[in-house]
Amino acid sequence: MQTRAAQRWNDRAILLVMAVLGVVMLLPFAWLFSMSFRSMADAYKMPPSFLPPSLDFKNYRAVLDSSIPFVQIYANSVEIAVIVTIGQLVTCTLAAFAFARLKFPGRESLFFVMLVGLMFPAQVTIIPIYLGFAQVGLLNRPIGLALMYLTSSFGVFLVRQFMLSQPKALEEAALMDGAGYFKIFTRISLPQLRPALSALGIITFTQTWNYYFQARVLLEPQDSMTLPIAMDLLRGYLNSGNLAMVMAAMSMAVLPVILLFLIAQKLVIEGVTMSGIKN
Amino acid sequence: MSAAIAARRSDLERAQARAAYLFVAPSLALYAVFVLAPVVVTFILSFSYYDPMAGSRWVGLDNFTRFFTDDRSQQIFWNTLRFTFFAVAGNVTVGLLLALALNRAMPAYLLYLFRLAYFLPVIIAAAFVSIVWGYFYGDDLGVINYYLIRLGFTPVHWLTSSHNAMMSIIIMDVWKNAGFFMVIFIAALQGVPKTLMEAAIMDGASYWRRFFRIVLPWISPVVFFAIVYASIGALQVFESIVILTRGGPGDSTRSMSLYIVEEAFDSFEIGYAASVAVVMTLVILVITSLQLIASRLWVRY
Repeated sequence: MQTRAAQRWNDRAILLVMAVLGVVMLLPFAWLFSMSFRSMADAYKMPPSFLPPSLDFKNYRAVLDSSIPFVQIYANSVEIAVIVTIGQLVTCTLAAFAFARLKFPGRESLFFVMLVGLMFPAQVTIIPIYLGFAQVGLLNRPIGLALMYLTSSFGVFLVRQFMLSQPKALEEAALMDGAGYFKIFTRISLPQLRPALSALGIITFTQTWNYYFQARVLLEPQDSMTLPIAMDLLRGYLNSGNLAMVMAAMSMAVLPVILLFLIAQKLVIEGVTMSGIKN
Repeated sequence: MSAAIAARRSDLERAQARAAYLFVAPSLALYAVFVLAPVVVTFILSFSYYDPMAGSRWVGLDNFTRFFTDDRSQQIFWNTLRFTFFAVAGNVTVGLLLALALNRAMPAYLLYLFRLAYFLPVIIAAAFVSIVWGYFYGDDLGVINYYLIRLGFTPVHWLTSSHNAMMSIIIMDVWKNAGFFMVIFIAALQGVPKTLMEAAIMDGASYWRRFFRIVLPWISPVVFFAIVYASIGALQVFESIVILTRGGPGDSTRSMSLYIVEEAFDSFEIGYAASVAVVMTLVILVITSLQLIASRLWVRY
């Protein structure tokens, strides 16, 4: 049997190893930000920097002034992520309220049908969506990608699970008093859902910001692109783009997600893993 | 009297059902249009030769036969399964080890920093981190090779050798995703009953004995979930390959997702690409049902 002192030293040694490993995990990000401050002439000089050599933002300006419509691309990413996040918060919450609180014929089977959606990858829906969008003129338009994701099985599931864990006495009492369902939803249920909604909002925003497969298929012209696709474009064929400039663009592209994570770390982690624990 | 109550009750029930359908309508309609209908159409397309000009025609299982007999598509199929196997094994094992290391008392600021370091790669797009790793994995100007040479080792062809490229992509994938499984496993580990562990310590059971006899059985449902979740993600691997190797050298890293996009939108082999997507979906379905069966058979004590 280990003594307490030995156990404490053991704990410290493991945490030290984890700290060193943690620094290694962060090296790619340190490199990304540092290289964005290198002058373009020095971009490929060795050794690489893991701390910014200067704080000159001229590479950032160079990205904005480049032939690639970076501001438009950034705006597309913001537009899609904002519309999808708001859309999912609304549609998923409405549906979750019915699945968690109301009785209706077919409730279980409809919920099951929605859950099955978790198993279908984008690969098995993208071809008909592409053909359909081509017909109705939604191809190569950011709003098309946003429309695809206005609801999600995951969101409905997440909010419903959270509602089921909350007491429903208040809602039942209001129902007895003859309050309308929509009023019960907005006045009583919604305020209780804040933790679930912030989690869903953060996950959805991050996920939408990061979509690649769908965006690459549906958004081809440069001014309809989103940031993840545009990075490949900036990097150029066979890495012919300037490294320092690419990293300046990357820094701007990852900034919203990193800020969100720094501010709301606990919520992000809880949200992203909520499905895993509840299952 | 009782009839009146019953009538009023069924009125209420009908009103509630009407309201409920209105609440689920937006989600269900969008889901039907953007998920269910496309899945059905993809299944139909997978049995046809699609030609909008001359007219499409039914070809039965031809697309599937082609997929399972063609050497190139077989290589791509096995590439995808190989990537999935190693990425899942790596992510789940490393995630579990990290969780075991971090599942101990520590000051709050330290926990914040650890979560920051290990979880940050999870939430940054694979497309972004792949570009960074592309420069790390470079042959001549690569960051890793620079330090290997400085330390006196021979440089490695991380992405330019068909022997190494897949492993390099898997290493990046584990760096990126292990933190996700770490967080899930930490939550699961905290559910292991303290009294059970203390009793085992009293009995003099060693750390690893406790791990295999108590901890692992207790968290096994979460491990199953993690394996399935990781597999569903890994089977769809796309952007890391597109950005790091574009499927090469040769076809050595080409995955089913890349193949679907190339066949559907470069070669316009819509029916054939649909059949590849159907195969991918069926693999996901099999893995998911295996988990459901396994979790029923596996009794947690």
